[in-house]
Amino acid sequence: MSAALTVRGLVAGYDRSVVIDGLDLEVADGATAVVIGPNGHGKTTLLRAVSGLIKPFRGEVELGGERIDGMAAEAIAKKGVVHVMQGDGLFVEMTVEENLLMGAFPGGSWRGRRAALKRVYSELPAVEERKGHKARTLSGGERRLVGLGRGMMRQGRLLLIDEPSLGLAPVAIEAVYAVIRRLRSEASSAIVLIEENFTHVGGVADVVHILEAGRIVRSGPFAELAADRTVVETYLGSIAEAPS
Amino acid sequence: MTGTFGSISAGRWAMIAIGIVLAALFPLVYHDPYYMTIIVTGEIVLILNISWNFVLGMAGVWNFGQLAIYALGAYGSGWLMLHHSGIPVPIAIVLGGVFSGVISVLLAFPTLRLFGIYTSLLTFSFAQVVQYVAVNNPHNLTGGSFGFPEVPGLFPDLGQSDYLRAYYWVCAAVIVVSCFAVAWLRQSHLGIALRSIRDAPAYTAARGVNPRAARVAAFGLSGFLAGIAGGLYLSFEQSFTTSQMGLTPMSLDVTMLVIGGLGTVSGPLIGTAILTVIQTKLINYPGWQLTVLGATLLVIVIFVPGGVVGLIGRLDRRLRAWVAEDADEAEEPAPG
Amino acid sequence: MTDIVAIIANGVVYGSIYGLVAIGMTLIYGTLRILDMSQGSMVMVGGYVGWWALATHGVNPIVALVLAFAFTFALGTATELVSVQPLISRRHEVDFELVTFITTFAVAIFLTNVALQHFGPFQQNVPTIVGGNLKLYHGVSISYHELTMAAISVILMGGLGLFLARTRWGLAVRAVAQDLDAARSLAVPVTRLYPLTMGLASALAGVGGVFLGALYFASPTAGDLPLLFALIVVVLGGLGSLTGTLYAAYLVGMTQSFCEVEIGTTWTLPILYGAILVILIFRPYGLKGSPSEVRL
Repeated sequence: MSAALTVRGLVAGYDRSVVIDGLDLEVADGATAVVIGPNGHGKTTLLRAVSGLIKPFRGEVELGGERIDGMAAEAIAKKGVVHVMQGDGLFVEMTVEENLLMGAFPGGSWRGRRAALKRVYSELPAVEERKGHKARTLSGGERRLVGLGRGMMRQGRLLLIDEPSLGLAPVAIEAVYAVIRRLRSEASSAIVLIEENFTHVGGVADVVHILEAGRIVRSGPFAELAADRTVVETYLGSIAEAPS
Repeated sequence: MTGTFGSISAGRWAMIAIGIVLAALFPLVYHDPYYMTIIVTGEIVLILNISWNFVLGMAGVWNFGQLAIYALGAYGSGWLMLHHSGIPVPIAIVLGGVFSGVISVLLAFPTLRLFGIYTSLLTFSFAQVVQYVAVNNPHNLTGGSFGFPEVPGLFPDLGQSDYLRAYYWVCAAVIVVSCFAVAWLRQSHLGIALRSIRDAPAYTAARGVNPRAARVAAFGLSGFLAGIAGGLYLSFEQSFTTSQMGLTPMSLDVTMLVIGGLGTVSGPLIGTAILTVIQTKLINYPGWQLTVLGATLLVIVIFVPGGVVGLIGRLDRRLRAWVAEDADEAEEPAPG
Repeated sequence: MTDIVAIIANGVVYGSIYGLVAIGMTLIYGTLRILDMSQGSMVMVGGYVGWWALATHGVNPIVALVLAFAFTFALGTATELVSVQPLISRRHEVDFELVTFITTFAVAIFLTNVALQHFGPFQQNVPTIVGGNLKLYHGVSISYHELTMAAISVILMGGLGLFLARTRWGLAVRAVAQDLDAARSLAVPVTRLYPLTMGLASALAGVGGVFLGALYFASPTAGDLPLLFALIVVVLGGLGSLTGTLYAAYLVGMTQSFCEVEIGTTWTLPILYGAILVILIFRPYGLKGSPSEVRL
């Protein structure tokens, strides 16, 4: 059984500048890989190269053994890649419900979409409460949940989540990670989650990869990396107790 | 050698010099009045295009009001010629240029705050207003769509062929001077400022360039030149109608600029020449003229965005690279 | 009082038709971020279709409208594929907005002159969709044709609004307008959506052209004025704002109506353009629009 995501020798960036410089990564089916690293070293670029929003300069990206590098983002999304972008990428002039419905855009019937909507609402009651409101009236935490909810509208093979804790207060972060933990246990998709630091990822990571200067420099189970003094010191943030 | 006019090699200078000499000698050998008229008209259009290229291509400002400025120069100098006949005609033309230059500067100010498309809409609206006012002929200033009344030309006493030649030389002189001026400006502080504004607006502010002053200057200079073109046209053709400002001439001129290569020094020359030739050939098929024009514009913009000059530049570079490869190979010591 | 009734009645009629033509441009700007200068020529084409269908073939008016819709839809789609699509992959290298301004303008020139070649520079009479007049008040009357024009325009604009608000594809169009990357990551096929959007916008203009043909003749240059008016409306309303376009359309319609009744028609455009000049000086993004938001 091939891995959900395989990245080999990826070189990617913007215009003339190279940000990802020879990156290898493998994410097993159904696993949750967390990629952490300092800002500006390529985390978001990595996700964008995988989901096709930017075209890699070199290298290979495979989804379940099938090459997707160089394909258009729309086509890659159709193949089952769900990308929850940094900054949410919500359609601010649309209501929460319309945003969620867009999450189920590719194919399916009207009934199927409504069913998915119902399912997401049951998972995220806070979101359902605001369903008729325009996205731009929501708080940061609420937007984050809507972004996640939109990603949950489809059962993808691969779910990419970009810095879910960014800019949120601790309470909101807890809510977001509670959802992510549920996603991890209930959904069958592999997850690649990126964060700037360790703080919250303990309960969700199967494997942690450290991305520095455009490459993965270290990988391992969370416990192992968390115990490593140098790693902890370099990547800031205290380690929250992994919830049981 | 990189001089005041940019990096022009000795060979290029020689070509330019030869070109100028040939152009100057041309009317001594060629006499057909019909084609000479077309050529002179083409020269005037070229002057207008050079001015437009400066603000549209080099400064990157979406100025679609240039033809109205051109017209204002014509009306301005025409008014002087009619009502102040004491002023020598060349001076009137220059003053017409000053007038249109000032108006162009005034037009520049509101565009400073606007971004891209809105500048085009503003300048376009300006052109429309000027055109409508001109057509309505307030106080008989413009002659409406019938055209400006006859004015004393630059050379009222010359016979036809001498008249044509004289205008040819005057216009050619203006063209040569303005081309050099543009080349010089390009390398000057102003030109560099304009290009950096066009290509990388974010950097410009950081480097202490004053974008506002540069843009206003660009408008003013190009307006001045356009006005001179207008004055020349009026005195040459002895008429100036409001159709000179319309969408058709505008499309023609844009096509000339694009085909030649927007933003380059020789672009307007090439583009105007090519299109004038095509237009002349198709003169009996007005519909075809413009259909071909539309299609050509489309194709060029999409496939050859640099215009002819850009194309030549690319071919030139490829040629050099190829030659350089050969030279490298020749220089390598024989293996052994 | 008669004046006021006339002004309002005509204003509503004009506003509706301007809205129809301009809303297409707004739709295109919202999704593609370009100013489609070929929209006027779509009106012209619609006028010719109306003439061909109604005058030379005596077809049922509804059929004529449908024909115009279909034909200009196809034409608009083709225009996008030819003058915009090839540039999209290069949208960051070149000044995309300026270049597409020129290319769509080139298409307009091309179409105008094909019409000139084919039909000659003559003005063709396009029969009205419906004959007769409705008497309003003391000598003020509106033709049924104009009423129908206004009604159909409103219906079409409303239809567009419903499409955007309620259907899956309409939602996708709005998504593309608001956040292109997010839409792409949700599998919205933008390369298919762009030509369809432009086709739809052109089709609206084409239908408008059939109506306008009866009022202003079908001729190769019949699209010039509608383009100018549409530009005014779109700038006033704020590029990319649907509601803004609507308000602006009726504002412009009322202004024209006012000028017709009180001052003289030739002053309409100069006044409007003068207004734009002034407005853009104080409000660089039009009356309603704001720089970053596209309110489709």
